[in-house]
Formats: sequence, structure tokens, C-alpha cells
Amino acid sequence: MKAKFSQLILLLLAVSILFPFGYLVLMSLASDWTFPDLLPGYLGLRNWREVLGSEVGLLWSFAQSVLISLAVAASATALGFGLSRTLAFHPQRRLWTMLTYFPYVLSPVVLAACLSFFFLKFGLFGKMSGVILAQFMITFPYATIFFLSFWSNRTKGFEELALTLGAKPWQALTRVLLPLAKSMLLVCFFQTFLISWFEYGLTAVIGVGKVQTLPVKVFLFIKEANFYYGALSCCLLIFPPVVLLYLNKRFVFNKLI
Amino acid sequence: MLLEVKGITKRFRAEQVLQDLHFSLEAHHTLSILGQSGSGKTTMLKILAGLESADAGEVWLNGERLTDHKAGQRGVVYLYQEDLLFPHLDVVGNIGFGLSLRKVPRQELSDRVHDMIRRLELVGQEHKMPHQLSGGQRQRVSFGRAIITNPRLLLLDEPFGSLDTGTRQRMQQLFQQLAAEFRITSLFVTHDLKEALLMGDQLGLMQQGHLKVYPSKEAFMQDPETGVQSEQAFWTSMGAGSE
Repeated sequence: MKAKFSQLILLLLAVSILFPFGYLVLMSLASDWTFPDLLPGYLGLRNWREVLGSEVGLLWSFAQSVLISLAVAASATALGFGLSRTLAFHPQRRLWTMLTYFPYVLSPVVLAACLSFFFLKFGLFGKMSGVILAQFMITFPYATIFFLSFWSNRTKGFEELALTLGAKPWQALTRVLLPLAKSMLLVCFFQTFLISWFEYGLTAVIGVGKVQTLPVKVFLFIKEANFYYGALSCCLLIFPPVVLLYLNKRFVFNKLI
Repeated sequence: MLLEVKGITKRFRAEQVLQDLHFSLEAHHTLSILGQSGSGKTTMLKILAGLESADAGEVWLNGERLTDHKAGQRGVVYLYQEDLLFPHLDVVGNIGFGLSLRKVPRQELSDRVHDMIRRLELVGQEHKMPHQLSGGQRQRVSFGRAIITNPRLLLLDEPFGSLDTGTRQRMQQLFQQLAAEFRITSLFVTHDLKEALLMGDQLGLMQQGHLKVYPSKEAFMQDPETGVQSEQAFWTSMGAGSE
């Protein structure tokens, strides 16, 4: 009896988690679905075909989002790893660590408003490079804080040992430190990719409508009350994170436990 | 003389860690340095290895001034108290690490690594990862990894500190055997009096940043500061008490 009750709870939980995703897919395949009809007037791939073949720009938004998120994740992870090392062994570590939290004191939109003057001055407003830089400013401190726990006297010992065994500093990095940090690097890359992927406020302000990433596009469709395209773009928005989560579980998480 | 240390001084903020160290060491000899925690032993070894810089003084190795050389160019290997085996490499990968950095041809590298594995009595453990080895086996791999690179000077910073008594004794014997076989010149730092006496051809005592190197084992044993006499007195009194 108790086992059956647990199974029922589990089933309810699974349905409540999976239902929104299933409903999104259904909405992306539907059109002419008005109240009080129980089923949509049309169910098929028409929306997808229109999006793939027309000028609504969803595919370009998808490609742009992938490019921006990859650039942001790669740069934030690499530079965060490097800076965290300097920070971890700095005599003023506590002060510098506190300063890395500064970008999170303000909401992304307020931060963007504060930075907009400089972006305008440097001609980065409404450009993909501007959006990448703005998102980097959010993800870089995150990556730096994330990697602080990696550096310890033991890590330093590994590095120093490699040096005395004849390694050049870059060899100590590539042959010892990077393999040691591999799992953390992958996790950080995934996390910063996701932060960038779902970022809306900062992108909307700095991109000024010219850089339309997928989250910007989703809001646009919702504002236009185009629920079918909204659902379709949400499917595109969710697909890469699901792939990343799968890769994360398969190649990183299973090795960590 | 192979190693000559002239006037090494080091200060960390207000604390004087090393004060005007002068000593020399002959080739293929081991200098045991006895010292308590915080006496400056580790800082001295790190300066010799090029991992720390001295405020003043010079280090000469085989007539070559080492002071301006970076750690990787000195041919001086520094072994920590922990074995610090690279966790992503197996036994073969760890022992061959230094040779692979020097781009030794693959076949030669493999031959030398397997020869070292045989000497260290680690046959059958070649492809085990560090977490699959016992404390003694890990320390053997650590020695092998250092010795295979033919270091000009080996620095050992309490290498057996984390081992149990039995393993410690076996490792002391193994080190003596390897040191003789590979004609190693080394500095062996320990806080264990018996270990210092066992391992060193020359003996030194480090106290509050000062290093005193003794001309002979007898001189070391006669100095009340080394603790040998109080140790002898303790065991004599124990013997008298049990009669």
C-alpha cells in the first residue's frame, strides 16, 4: 500500500514536471485553437515549416544565441579560471573576493542602464559584441567565484612539483592543472552557458532590439500574443540546455560521484 | 662541493624566517636536517628549488649560480611530505611524467619507466591509479618519479611524515638503497631525531632560521641542543628502572 502511494506521488511529480514541456511541444504544433474547442483546429508541422522557411528570424535568433552563449561561456570560464588563481593566493583575497560579488548587487537591467553610457561611447550598443561583453560582465565574476574553491595549498603543491620536475609554467597548466580541474571547468562552462542562454534584461537593453536572442524573441512573440510561435521558440530555447544537461550528467556528474 | 649555499636570508613581513644560511654538501651525499615545525626548513628547501625567492644570498650547484634560474631549469626536485601523485595519471604516467616533459622517445621512456617500476618492486601495479595504491606504494611512485629524471639535487621535506612506523622503516631503507644506486645528492629534512641520524651522511640542526651543520655524527650527538643526549638519558633511565 505504502509502495503504491509512493509510486503515485512519483508519477504525479513526473507529470507535473514533464507536462509544461509536453504542452509547449503541443502548442508549437498547433494553430487555430480557440476556446471552447477541446482540440486544436490544426495539428502538424506547419508552424515549424513556416519558421524554417520564412523571415521571422527564429533560426537566426537561435544561431545568434548559440554563438553568444558559446563565446560568453568560453571566455568567462577561461578567464575566471585564471583570475581565481591570482585571487586565491593574493594577500588581500577577502577584499578582492568581496568585490567580485559587486555585479550581483544590482539587477542586470539596472546594471545595463548604468553601463549604457560606456557602451554607447564605445559603439557597442545594438551589436553582438556589446551583448557578449555585457553578459561576460555577469558570468565572469560567477566563474571566478566558482573556481576559488579549486585552489588550495595542495593544488599549489601539484603545480610546484611539476615545475621542479622540469615543466615550464604552460606545461604545468596543460599537463597538471587543467586535467585536475577538468570536471569543474565543464560544470562552469555549462553554468555560464545557461546564464547567458536565458539572459533577457541585459541583452534587451544593450541589444536595443537589434540583437534578438531567443529569450528576447520569446518575449516579443508573447507581447504580440502569438502563442504558437512563442511555444515554438520556447522549444528552441529549451532544447540546447536539455542536451547540455544530458552531457553534463553523462560525462561530468557520473564521474564526480 | 656540489651544493654551496651562501648567506641565504628570508623574511616574511615582520618574521625573520631564515638568517644568513651558509653550508655546503658533497656530491652523492645526504645532508639530514633536523628541525621542529616553523624552524624555516620548508622555506629553505623551496628557495633551493626555486619556488621561493631569497631576500639575500646565493645558491651554487656544481659551480653554477642557481639563484637566477627558474625552478624547471635547476635540475632540483622537491618532494613534499605528501606524495602528491597526479590523480589523473596511473603509475606509469606518474613515474614517466618528468621524462615526457623532456620529450624522451616513447620506447626509451617506456623502458626506463618499467625498469624503475621493477626496481621499486611495483610490478603488477603499472596501470593502477593513485587512489588504488597503499601509502608505501604511493611514496615509492613518488620517489621513482623524481629519481628517474636524474636530478642534480633531491630535496625531501619530511617525506615519511604521514606513514606508519613499519612502512616508514621500509621506506627509509628503500631510499638509502636508491640513493646509493643512483648516486643521489640530497637534503633530507625531518623532525624525527632517529630518522635524521639514519638517513644523513652529514647532519644539521635548524632552529629559528639558523642552520648549524656538524662536522661529524659524533659532534651532532654531543651537542645537547640536538636532543640526542636527553634521548640517551631517557632510555638509560628506562633500562635502569626495569632492572
